[in-house]
Amino acid sequence: MIARRSRSPLRAPSLAALPLILLALVACGRGDRSRAGAGGTIVIAQTAEPATLFPPRMSQVPEQVVVTMLFERLAELGPALNTIGDSGFVPALARRWQWANDSMSIAFALNPQARWHDGVPVRAEDVRYTFHVYTSPVVASEGRTLLQNIDSVTVRDSLTAVFWFARRTPQQFLDATATMYILPAHQLAAIPDSALVRAPFGRQPVGSGPFRFARWEAGSRLELVADSTRASGRPSLDRLVFSYVPDLPAATVKLLAGEADFLDQVRPEGIAAIRQAPNLRLHPATELNYAFVGFNLEARRSPIGKPGAPHPILGDVRVRRALTMATDRATIVRSVLDSLGTVALGPAPRALIPDTAALRPLPFDIAAASALLDSAGWTGRAADGTRLRGTQRLAFELLVPSSSPTRIRMSVLLQAACKTIGVDLSVLTQDPATLGPRIDARDFDAYLGGFQASPGLQGVRQVWTSTGSSNYQGYRSPRFDQLADSALTAFAPAVSRSLWTRAFQVAIDEAPSLWLFEQHTVVAAHRRLQLPPFRADGWFYTIPAWSVDPTQR
Amino acid sequence: MARRVLTRLFHTVLVVWTAASVAFLLLHWAPGDPISAMADASRVPPAQRAVWRAQQGFDQPLAVQYGRWLGQVARADFGFSTSQQRPTRDVLASRLPNTLLLMGLALLTSIAAGAALGAWQGARVGSRGDRVLSSLMLVLYAVPEFWVALLLLLLFTYYLPILPATGMVDAVFHDRMGPWEQLQDRAAHLVLPWLSLTLMGTAVFARVQRGAMRDQWREPFVQTAFAKGLTDHTVRRQVWRTALLPVVTMAGLFLPAVLTGAVFVERIFGWPGIGSALMQAIALRDYALVSACVVLGSAMTTIGSLFADLAGAWLDPRMRTT
Repeated sequence: MIARRSRSPLRAPSLAALPLILLALVACGRGDRSRAGAGGTIVIAQTAEPATLFPPRMSQVPEQVVVTMLFERLAELGPALNTIGDSGFVPALARRWQWANDSMSIAFALNPQARWHDGVPVRAEDVRYTFHVYTSPVVASEGRTLLQNIDSVTVRDSLTAVFWFARRTPQQFLDATATMYILPAHQLAAIPDSALVRAPFGRQPVGSGPFRFARWEAGSRLELVADSTRASGRPSLDRLVFSYVPDLPAATVKLLAGEADFLDQVRPEGIAAIRQAPNLRLHPATELNYAFVGFNLEARRSPIGKPGAPHPILGDVRVRRALTMATDRATIVRSVLDSLGTVALGPAPRALIPDTAALRPLPFDIAAASALLDSAGWTGRAADGTRLRGTQRLAFELLVPSSSPTRIRMSVLLQAACKTIGVDLSVLTQDPATLGPRIDARDFDAYLGGFQASPGLQGVRQVWTSTGSSNYQGYRSPRFDQLADSALTAFAPAVSRSLWTRAFQVAIDEAPSLWLFEQHTVVAAHRRLQLPPFRADGWFYTIPAWSVDPTQR
Repeated sequence: MARRVLTRLFHTVLVVWTAASVAFLLLHWAPGDPISAMADASRVPPAQRAVWRAQQGFDQPLAVQYGRWLGQVARADFGFSTSQQRPTRDVLASRLPNTLLLMGLALLTSIAAGAALGAWQGARVGSRGDRVLSSLMLVLYAVPEFWVALLLLLLFTYYLPILPATGMVDAVFHDRMGPWEQLQDRAAHLVLPWLSLTLMGTAVFARVQRGAMRDQWREPFVQTAFAKGLTDHTVRRQVWRTALLPVVTMAGLFLPAVLTGAVFVERIFGWPGIGSALMQAIALRDYALVSACVVLGSAMTTIGSLFADLAGAWLDPRMRTT
């Protein structure tokens, strides 16, 4: 009975035909895949996907890239990235602006033809509402702290929004324009502030920028289409597709396979393959980043914001200077990054440091470094060559994020450099989610950190001054604080430049960190793309001006 | 039988609850939280991060968070995914079908191809063809899926660029295609991830089927069948039928292995399924999404095991009473 009901072993797995069907389908589908008729559509491969497109809660570059295409600010920074006054700023949603005689308010006149993507006109009430959302404690926008100098925003008439300031500062205009992407009040005002962050708007936004939102297939792609009715001019491209892949190697493969037109970062190991691809071209792009070995200057676990006891090893400026001087930073950077990096100068990227030529970095000098350690009392030697002061070993731990292969490689070279002067550096690699709380709690000796800076030098105060909210290292230098504060409040560019130069020299001399490297970004693009020069604060700001060679559409 | 199924279902609920609770606790005990795992977290002042933490309830005692989570799971809610900023239910609804498509197809073809190859080998144990196939299956069995996936990716998208590298559909043209072309497009994108999972699965099932066939050939009923004058073909069918049992059992237990494999394969091919979302969720300490994936994975595993038992009982009457 059983045998009668059973099927032949060779007939039974008829499911084996499935792959054949699949391959047959594929074979039929491998026809003409040329991009003829696609118009100006480009695919940008990215390794991270936005979490939300609600501008007040964006905190990462992938979000910023899309939000910049969908929404507008009142004015944009010019190519020189000047942040003092309004010099160089380019009108965006605001057609023009007027300062009050006492400089305590600025009236922005909106472009009367500006429309939201649903057709409703953009009005001054939208600006007022945007300020309300960004400063709402419930919304808890990251930009809230940057808006503290704005007292209020009022509506003079339907097309004029007035910003009132608490204090007169050189960065007033930047404060009013750099942080806030203007939101559509008619879409959002009915939603309670507490529900805004999770509202569907964050995944289906309506903006007034050069591109309209089209679709978002989570984990796969996000598509924008040009707003062809835009009064201030439509972008050159018809469509913009962001294709999300899990990591950089996969993104590189996508580019090489012709499935993407643009990749916003190329690792050194991927450059050779891209250079050989006939349809691809590499472009240098400046980025405002810098990386450093951040020393904890106070005892581990000291509370942030309050002076603590000095760190038993790194609290001594002589040790910190010796560590910098024993490190051949130029060789390390060249070894790891080749030509894609330069030695960092101080607590800001070179592009933001007003006068790099005037700064005197600590030299690479092993003999002088050893002498400094001797003078600090580290004269004894353990059996393994590590220096001793009494019975204390000159040993400390360096935390390195596992997410950065570049920093992991550098940490090995730093370890070797330390060994040459008798310092025992142990490297601990941890994932960012684990490393972050340790840095927050100041439970570290040193960490290999980095910052992506914003235009202007306000960020320096947040990280490197005594009262800075992100001063995890406990760097408290009255000289640096005073110079940085004076530089930030100076209205004359020449005075500001001079004060910053002095401040940076103090930071170099006192060595709260070992200023390690600035990474140059290389992007890869299909040759059919015609790209204008990138802005230093982000390659994506010029996307509306990108175009595709008409013969290769 | 009904009583047995009910008991197994009760066990399933127990296993799922235990696995999900352990995952929840381990995740919360691990250093960091979704806020500290954010990219550029160091740029955000600690006070601001504390506000975000409080808003999402991550500053609450673990027992409170666990109770709230349990209540949500009981209502099939699963909470809010911090890595994707949308309800976890929506994430599962958009990702799960993609994973089920990939896994289901890979599992079906693995079973079919593995059973066929194993049956063929089992009837010819020791022949040259059997030896060659055995060696090949051993290699495929030993090689991890992610390595096979990388190899296929390199081969078919770089050296012989005939298949798409990543994603589920063509990012530019898919929406402009007709239904037939869209089907072709999806199939083309499915080939490499499906093949990566299927090769390993085929090797597993082929080895199991071959071993079972070889054992069954030594059973007395085979000699009896031949003695009764049955043809070679008929006897082979009978042997194959009895040798199917371990394959069916393996199919049920193989589900978690395919799910694990899918995690790597989805990541390599940018397949927008549960696996790739899970990897991202783990890195970003997305408690809600990771816990939901554990619930899902453990449920699939136990239900797969239940189906294997039921199918075994259907195939072998002796198992119905045990």
